[in-house]
Amino acid sequence: MTRAGDGHESPHDRRSDDPGPADTGPADTGPLDDRRPAASAPDAEPAETEPDPRFTLANERTFLAWSRTALALVAAGLGIVQLLPPFPGVPAGRHVVGVPLIVLGAVMAVAAYVDMMRNQRALRRNQPLPRSVLPRLLAATIGGVATVAAVVVLLSATS
Amino acid sequence: MSANPRPPVIDPANRTRLAWTRTAVAFAALGGAMLKLSPVAGLVVLVLSLPIWAVTSRRHGLGAAAASPRRLRLVTATVVVVAFAALLVAIFGHSPDSLGQLLRGR
Repeated sequence: MTRAGDGHESPHDRRSDDPGPADTGPADTGPLDDRRPAASAPDAEPAETEPDPRFTLANERTFLAWSRTALALVAAGLGIVQLLPPFPGVPAGRHVVGVPLIVLGAVMAVAAYVDMMRNQRALRRNQPLPRSVLPRLLAATIGGVATVAAVVVLLSATS
Repeated sequence: MSANPRPPVIDPANRTRLAWTRTAVAFAALGGAMLKLSPVAGLVVLVLSLPIWAVTSRRHGLGAAAASPRRLRLVTATVVVVAFAALLVAIFGHSPDSLGQLLRGR
């Protein structure tokens, strides 16, 4: 049994793996025509209804979790720049590693908001949730920063 | 006997309130940490955590189920402002050579 509102399960069970042009519609659509249901007119804008509050709350918690992740990235970047001892031979090493994390934190906060609004719109229209770019963005940036950090450490060790 | 006296829909509301609380605590913790590095930036972050806390304290039960987009934008804007302040501190701020120097208050 799915525990609706548990945070992720119910809304994400409905996430589409292949969003296609039809699934990207909610973010690009204009004003709604509530007088016509979507089923009767395939080309018309789908009608919006208020979703189950548990889904809305789960969506909100997901947004807050991403916001905390963004804050953690900012704190990590700040800690790297301010607390780490300087790398011998690589004067800007701390900034090269830490500043991208801070920038990613800001980008992630905005992306989380956009993602949350897109998900909420999809829930209102009873459509599959659009694919989120946030996990890939986070993984790619952390992987990149880790690679840069490894290079900085190696350069520092050889100097 | 086994009936749950609470409707199951209460739990998501409580969990969401806790999530808001965690977010407010995270803001305050980061503000406190920044206070050590840069008092002005840290104070700004600490002050910005107050509206987040206010959102938390106003939400009770399912009646306030969905936070308004304005409140969510407030969280987003606050994180962006915090990131900007952190960026300024990281680039222009006091940067001790070691953790020991930082703790000694160099």
